[in-house]
This record gives sequence, structure tokens and C-alpha cells, in this order.
Amino acid sequence: MTIALVVVVIVALGLGVALVVVAGRRRGLQAEVARLERGIDDASARTTALEAERLRLERAFDAIPQGVVLVDDQGEVVVRNTTAAGFSGARHGEALVEAAVAELMTDALKGRVATRTVDLFGPPRRTVVITATPISVAERRCVLAVIDDVSERRRLEAVRRDFVANISHELKTPVGALGLLAETLLAEDDPAVAQRLAERIQTEAFRVGHTIEDLLELSRIESGELPSREVLPVHVVVSEAVERIRPAAEQAGIVVELSDSGRDLTLLGDRRQLISALYNLLDNAVKYSDEESTVEVGASRAGESVEIAVTDHGIGIPVRDLGRVFERFYRVDQARSRRTGGTGLGLSIVRHVVGNHHGDIRVESRLGEGSTFTLCLPAAAGVADEIAATG
Amino acid sequence: MKASGFRPERDMQEQRKTFHQELEQMSADIVRLAAMVTELIPRGTEVLLTNDLREAQEIIEDDDVLDALAVQIEDHCYHVLALQQPMAGDLRAIVTAIRLVSEIERSGDLMVNVCKGARRIYGANFDPKVRGLIEQMGEEATKLFRLAIDAYVEHNASLATALDDMDDQLDGLHKDYIQAIFESHHAGSIDLQAAVQLALIGRYYERIGDHAVNIGTRVEYMVTGWLPEHSGAARLQARAAMEAATQREHEEQSGETESHTDNPTTG
Repeated sequence: MTIALVVVVIVALGLGVALVVVAGRRRGLQAEVARLERGIDDASARTTALEAERLRLERAFDAIPQGVVLVDDQGEVVVRNTTAAGFSGARHGEALVEAAVAELMTDALKGRVATRTVDLFGPPRRTVVITATPISVAERRCVLAVIDDVSERRRLEAVRRDFVANISHELKTPVGALGLLAETLLAEDDPAVAQRLAERIQTEAFRVGHTIEDLLELSRIESGELPSREVLPVHVVVSEAVERIRPAAEQAGIVVELSDSGRDLTLLGDRRQLISALYNLLDNAVKYSDEESTVEVGASRAGESVEIAVTDHGIGIPVRDLGRVFERFYRVDQARSRRTGGTGLGLSIVRHVVGNHHGDIRVESRLGEGSTFTLCLPAAAGVADEIAATG
Repeated sequence: MKASGFRPERDMQEQRKTFHQELEQMSADIVRLAAMVTELIPRGTEVLLTNDLREAQEIIEDDDVLDALAVQIEDHCYHVLALQQPMAGDLRAIVTAIRLVSEIERSGDLMVNVCKGARRIYGANFDPKVRGLIEQMGEEATKLFRLAIDAYVEHNASLATALDDMDDQLDGLHKDYIQAIFESHHAGSIDLQAAVQLALIGRYYERIGDHAVNIGTRVEYMVTGWLPEHSGAARLQARAAMEAATQREHEEQSGETESHTDNPTTG
């Protein structure tokens, strides 16, 4: 009996101890589980934060206008922003950019900066500068390539460079000629020769005066001085400009045809500036047309705008020069421009007049077939009838 | 345990993956070669119109780069053919790539010829109409070439087929151009030597258009498995079958006649 009691007590004690141990282990396990859960939560929070950081960086890279590609030492792409992705798997000229990026990155992995300029003839024409730079990240060599489209920068540089060269040419040439002619005149005794020299001096003086006048006119328009606004019947603008050009056209044996003068159309603007702009277009058309050809002028309504088109059948403009003909002093053919006269500012004045009137100018041309310049100006809505009614 | 046992499915998958990567690389190389030629067309045209001798020399020298890439692509194609022994569409893609390389490379040679022609007529002053037509032919040839490559990249059989009709525009320009050269020579603007060189240059542009059409034909074959020559081959087969049938008929008839004439003696 006593023995049985002792056994029961021992078993009970054993069970008690076991229960305590199990309870202890359970608490330990619970603590471990809680710790693991906290760890998972932390890792999850860190992953979310890292993901947010990655997205932020991705957005930042995508916002960069240049193409950016980062590759690791195995040549695996780590980062490629949207601009760079545009060249990936590209075809035509852009495929050459992708190939150049790959070549430069291979060079840069050897530890030197590599740069190349790729000129794409398109169309459109583009110039892309690619620079691949080796960088070290966590003791691993990576390469960062930057793809920069410098087309607009190059264009502006060319405009500035040509402008400086052209303005000095346009002003220095007649001034130099004046000096030489005057010097020759001083030493001349023959009255007939002196007369001819004086006439040449007059011509050159007129030429330089004309250039300066045009420069001042352009400067006035460029200064943003708002033109006086009045409602103008389109046929008045067209007719006046045509009448101004007619003597020069007749002298050159060119017929100016008025297909549609826009009798019931009106526009809002400065009469003097608009007539001057249209006259400049007609003057160009006459200068670059062959004898016995025609220049056509017509006005029409196009939505909210009035379009005045001047078409010639002259020598035309090469495609590569079409985007530059409105630049100051820009000449497609220097030699011909010298023969035909003009200051090289006409089309530039036209562009600024149109800009001041919130309009637009378009040009279409084919070498050997001729050109069409179209002025698009905002129509004076609702006043055409009034003007027509008042006669 | 080292992972090196024979696992046919996985090995096969890896082989297929490598094979398709090789095909993609081949296609990318063709696109790059074509891009170089597509850029050469406006570049060479500008050389011709602006008498830029330095650029002409550069284009002539750059032809070696084109040739090297063409040889590399062709070698790659043979390598894949020998090692992978492709079938059906994959086989057509590789055969097409081999044919395309020569069409593209030849077009590059034609632009080099344009530059050499520009050097031969250096200083000749040709009139605006001829210049305008050269400009237009250059634009048209560039457009056709770009479209041919678009068709190849997009596996677009309709576009590839349409190139033949699109080429009519370039052919028309070429005709006008030859006419303009005659007029210009007749008016005394250009001498005979310059006229001949200009006519040859026009022919080079026209040939580039033809190469673009050939690319289209090959792309159509790649996508559909059909070639214009198949029609000719089918016609030839039909003709041969018809001739054989006629021959048989003739033989039968002559056999019958012989038996009729033999009857009295045998009977």
C-alpha cells in the first residue's frame, strides 16, 4: 500500500515536472514564434521599403531626359530607363545606337571611359552622343552608359555660328566694296568711268541701307512690340501686296496670278506688317522663278484660320534646307542670292510677323519644281458679314 | 550530389533556348546591317548633292565594315544550320537570313557606287530638276528599304507583298529622271560624261528599290513558305504532266491504229 502510494506520488511528481518542462518549452516556442513573426514583419516592412525605394529610383531614372543604362561586371543590365529602353530592340537608325551602346560598354568594362557620336540621317536627322563610364559599386565594377540626344543643341549651335558668319558677310561685303569704289573714284579722271563708279557706290550704299532697314524692322518685330489689331479684309492685304510686287514681276517676265483673293474673308492684325510679310513671300517667289513662269496667290478659309498661299514654279528648296530658310541671313545658294539681291532677312521677318499674330507658316518645296509658302492666320470670326454689309 | 546526370527534357529545353537565342541574335544582326544601309541612302544622296568629297571617302571606306558584318552573319547562319539542323519555320528563317544578307550588302555597295559616281562628276553643275529628282529617289529608296525591314521584323507578309507595287513609284521617278537628264544635256547644262554618270547613279537608286522588293519576297517566303518561283515551278510541273498525258494518249491511239491494221492479217 505504502509502496503503491510512493509510486503514485513519484509518477505524479514526474508528471508535474514533465508538465512544467512542457509548459516552459511551450512558452519558449511561443516566444520563438513571436520573434520569428516579428522578424518576418521586419523583413516584409524592409522589402516594402526597398520596393518603394526601387520604384522611386526607377521613376527618377525615367524622368531623366537622357537614356541611362547600368550593367554589372557580368554584362547583365541592372537599370535601363525609359529613354534607353526606346533604343532597345530598335530598328533602322536607332538600332545603330543600341549597337554602339553595347560596344562602348564592353570597352568601359576594361576600365576606360568610352565616347562616341552617332549621326543619324533619319528622317528625322538626329545626333546622339553616347558615353560609357566604368564605376565601382560594392567593390564590383559596373558600367554606366548615358545616351544624350544633342540634335537640338547642335541645331542651335549651327544657327548661332552661321548667323555670326552671315551677318559679318552681309555687312562687310558692301562696306568693303564702298571703300574700294571710293578709292578708285578718287584716282579717276575720266568722267564716264567716274560716273559708273558713283552709280556702283550708290547701288552698294542702297544695298547696305536696305539690310540695316530690314535688321531694324526685324528687331522691332522681335522686341515683342504688339502689333495694332484691326479687322482686315483679306482681299485688301492680298491685293496691296500683289500690286507692290507687280512692277518687279513684270520686269522679270513673271506673271502673278491671283486665284482667290479671299473676298469674303477677314483677319485680325496689323495691316502694315501683314502686307509686308506677304510682299516678302511674293518677292522671294519672283526672285527664284524663271522668266515666263507664274506665281500664284490664293486665300482660303481653313477652320478657324485664314490661309494665304504663295506658289512658285522656280528652283525649289532642298529638303535639308527647308527647316533653316526662316533663319536670319540663311541662304540656300549664296551665289544665286548675291545675283538676285535681297538681304536674307525676308523670311525671318515673315516668321516673326506670323508669330506676333499667333499664326503659323508652312513651306512645301521640291527642287526643280517650286515652292509653296502658306501663311496661317487666325480669322476674325463673325465680322466678315458686318464688313461685307458695310461695303 | 553533383547535378550532372542525363536529363533529356531539361537538356532539350536548354538547347531550344540557346537555339532561339541564336535566331534572335541573327535577326538583330540583320536589322543592324540593314540600319547601316538605310542610313547610307540619305547620307550618300547628300554627298552627291553637296559634292562632299570627304564624306564620300568615309562612305567608301565604311563599306568594309558592312562587308565584315555581312560575312559574320552569313557564317553564323551556316554554323546554326550545321549544328542545330532546324526544321520548317526555323529553317526558313535561317535560309531567309542568308538571302537577306546578300540583298542588303549589295544595296550598300550601290550607295558606295553613288559616292564614286559623285566623285566622277565633281564640279558638274546639274540643274534643280535633276537635283530634285535625285532627292526624291533617295527618299523613296530609303522609305522602301525601311518598310522592307519593318516587314522582316514584324513578320508582316502583307507589307512584304505590297513592296512590289510600292516600288512603281521609284520606277516612275527613275523614268522622269532619265528624261530630265536628256533635257539637261540637250539644253547644254551638262556634258555627255556627266549625263552618263548621272544616268548610272539613277540606276543605282532604282536597283536599291528592287533589292527592297527582293527582301519583301524573301520575307513572304519566311512567313508563308511561298515564293513567286513556286508558281513558275507549278506551271512547269503542270506543263510536264500535260505533255506526258498527251504523249500517252498519242501512244494509245497509235497502238489502237496498229491493232486495227493488224486485224485483217491476224484474222
